[in-house]
Amino acid sequence: MNNKTEEKIASAGRRDFFKKTATVSAVAATTMVAPSAVMASGKDDENIVEEVKWGTTLGEECNKYPYGMPAAYEHNVVRRTSALMSSAGDMHAAISMTPIADLKGIIVPNGLHFTRTHNGVAHVNPNKWRLMIHGLVEKPIVLTLDQLKRYPSESRILFMECPSNSAAEWKGPQFGTAQFVKGMMSCAQWTGVRLKTILDELGLKPEAKWMLAEGGDGSEMSRTLPIEKVLDDVMIVYAQNGEALRNEQGYPVRLMAPGWEANLCVKWLKRLEFGDKPWYAKEETSKYTALTASGKAIQHFYALETNSIITSPAPEKDWKDLKKGDLVEIEGLAWSGYGTIKGVDISFDGGKNWVEAQLKGLVLPKCWTRFSYMYKYEGKPLLLQSRSYDDSGDVQPTVNQEKGIVGVECVYHRNAIVTWQVTEKGEVSNVQIRS
Amino acid sequence: MFKLDRKLITIGMTLALSTTLSVAAASTACIPGVYKSKPGAIDGGVIYPRENGVYTAYRYNTQSTKGVNFGRTPTANEIKAWDVDARPDGKGLPDGEGSVEDGDELFDAQCAVCHGDFGGGGKGYPQLAGGNQAKDKNGVVITLKNQRIKPGMDAPKRTVGTYWPYATTLFTYIRDAMPYAHPKSLTNDEVYALTAYILAQNEIKIDGQEMDDEYVLNKEKLMKVVLPNKDGFYPVIDGPEGPANVKAFFADRAKNIGMGTRCMKDCKDPSSGPGEKGLPAKLMKIKYEMKDVVPPYAFGKDLPPETDAGSVSKGEKLYDSSCKLCHGNDTMGAPRVGDASAWAAVMKKGMDKVLVNAIKGTGGMPPKGGNTDLSDADIKTIIEYMVGASK
Repeated sequence: MNNKTEEKIASAGRRDFFKKTATVSAVAATTMVAPSAVMASGKDDENIVEEVKWGTTLGEECNKYPYGMPAAYEHNVVRRTSALMSSAGDMHAAISMTPIADLKGIIVPNGLHFTRTHNGVAHVNPNKWRLMIHGLVEKPIVLTLDQLKRYPSESRILFMECPSNSAAEWKGPQFGTAQFVKGMMSCAQWTGVRLKTILDELGLKPEAKWMLAEGGDGSEMSRTLPIEKVLDDVMIVYAQNGEALRNEQGYPVRLMAPGWEANLCVKWLKRLEFGDKPWYAKEETSKYTALTASGKAIQHFYALETNSIITSPAPEKDWKDLKKGDLVEIEGLAWSGYGTIKGVDISFDGGKNWVEAQLKGLVLPKCWTRFSYMYKYEGKPLLLQSRSYDDSGDVQPTVNQEKGIVGVECVYHRNAIVTWQVTEKGEVSNVQIRS
Repeated sequence: MFKLDRKLITIGMTLALSTTLSVAAASTACIPGVYKSKPGAIDGGVIYPRENGVYTAYRYNTQSTKGVNFGRTPTANEIKAWDVDARPDGKGLPDGEGSVEDGDELFDAQCAVCHGDFGGGGKGYPQLAGGNQAKDKNGVVITLKNQRIKPGMDAPKRTVGTYWPYATTLFTYIRDAMPYAHPKSLTNDEVYALTAYILAQNEIKIDGQEMDDEYVLNKEKLMKVVLPNKDGFYPVIDGPEGPANVKAFFADRAKNIGMGTRCMKDCKDPSSGPGEKGLPAKLMKIKYEMKDVVPPYAFGKDLPPETDAGSVSKGEKLYDSSCKLCHGNDTMGAPRVGDASAWAAVMKKGMDKVLVNAIKGTGGMPPKGGNTDLSDADIKTIIEYMVGASK
């Protein structure tokens, strides 16, 4: 075979490729099962025996995108929202969900971190940004961003969860994907200044009991935190996974209260005031209070309880391609705002019997933790559940255990066990085991 | 030699042995993910010590940070400009006043579009007024006990009159965050007027006095407002024992907020909720799935649909893939795209001649730049792009 012939074959292959990609785009969903079909029939896989476009053409210039983008084929891995997550379908006071079943490890890429806004995403000019720390301190200060960054920094990998995560599920299952069942959360490495480092210099007055944290966006989102937490592990953060915070996460600076409601991690942070009494801001009275069956509401509900969800399988990551006898990994995420995940149990029968899963990867406090269990698939119907527990003694409750104490009108802090129903065909759907 | 080797081997063995021992000792004392901690955090969780440069899995710099002191003292005017929050005790409330009647007019013009007439709700934005404020013998707002455990039951209504604990919150929130699209556009007098109107719609009395149209609200009167559900929240956070109350509450999480149990075999899970105590757990499926999500669900690994609105022209795309290697810089001797004089010289020959050269090859350039898949029309499109981008 001479060079000319080879070229012809190669270019024919390319033309073929273009024709085929056109077909692929049109019927994307069905072609996803193509590779295993090819292998099963014993035919040669054209992706192996023929040249592929990316192997026979010059790629893009190395720095064509000075800020890199995900592969075009990943364009469906995005945050999603719903009118149910907003006021009247208005997307300025709304929330978007992280595609948790599509992500690996414990770090959420910055562009996929869930977002909650009360008055739209503010775009702050970092040169005009100021942080004021005042009230019951000996030395009040104003900081520019550069000055804040002069303080010694620390980095922590921490989950961030909206206390409304799963709020649509109190009265029964409503959404059909892991993204919407538990996507109001993410995990990232956050870098900033420990607030105690600054306060040690400013001198907190002994009568200071509470801190008001106020945002600079149109909603002036503000919350009150107790000093004990502030002096333990609260940070003022300006970096997320190595780069500056995204606008959606409060660029240039947000508060970080590890393990606590993301709502307390005030974005576009503008002001910290120390006082002897709590403030009763709007988002800690009319909202973000958990109305229980007693008719009274839990206020200052801080830490997110121990929680978990199986991300593989999930409704959007089903088992339809599995054959009986396949050994497959069940994988998921566990987290707790009280401390560190100690372990996760898995049930196949809707919570009657349980086995211990194993943790894998980094196991850090107040951080997403991966769990794993090797399972021999038998094509039987399952009611798949995960149940986490942590080093503070907290154990994830069943739906009945949780609603037995707080009822079904809480809105916030729902951490009941999630159930995936797996059918004989490997389809996965969101169900609940409850009375 | 042998002796020396043996000595070395012995030393090596001792070292290896001691390393193994110390590693073993370290690993039992420090299983990954099991960190030294003590109970008693204010949120009910554990507290991890920072000791000797170690905090859980993290190391930290143990050097003193005393004396790190960036930033400056704010001026009195700066603090005054930003410190505009107000607490239930009235600290921080500004001077000013406004009547229910003025508030009515403002509300109709600026608020009713979202919050509904008289603050009665509508269109999905928060309902501000309405709901039944009647209380039971324990002082609990009765309708707040509503639990939608069966279809057709009423939701608890969380309005200013039935749910909010303090009216100062209403004032500060309106002033800071409303109207929604134009926050901070109202004067303090207007905010007092709107606060008065909303309180009046909730039939709030101040010092036993009903708020009629002529009622004028100011700082002193706002501080006196006692909302019906003031005591509807727990744990109690007020007073010097506030933080301690919070800590005690979260210390008993099993009782106060609910907790699971690590049952492993033949576990029973009947309901203990109000009105359904002892009912066995059963499978509940989605009745009406919320599928209306944005962007719509799609999970394929396909290419995004092509749009005509893209900023990159067909000519530029073809140029990028087939011509830029040589025409994107001066090194290859080809006229560089962006070099106006080089392209002016090329185009002196006329488009027809340039097109023929490009199709057949010229100088160091192979026919069609080496990509014979390109049609003659494609070549023309590319040249037009290159000329256009070099003016």
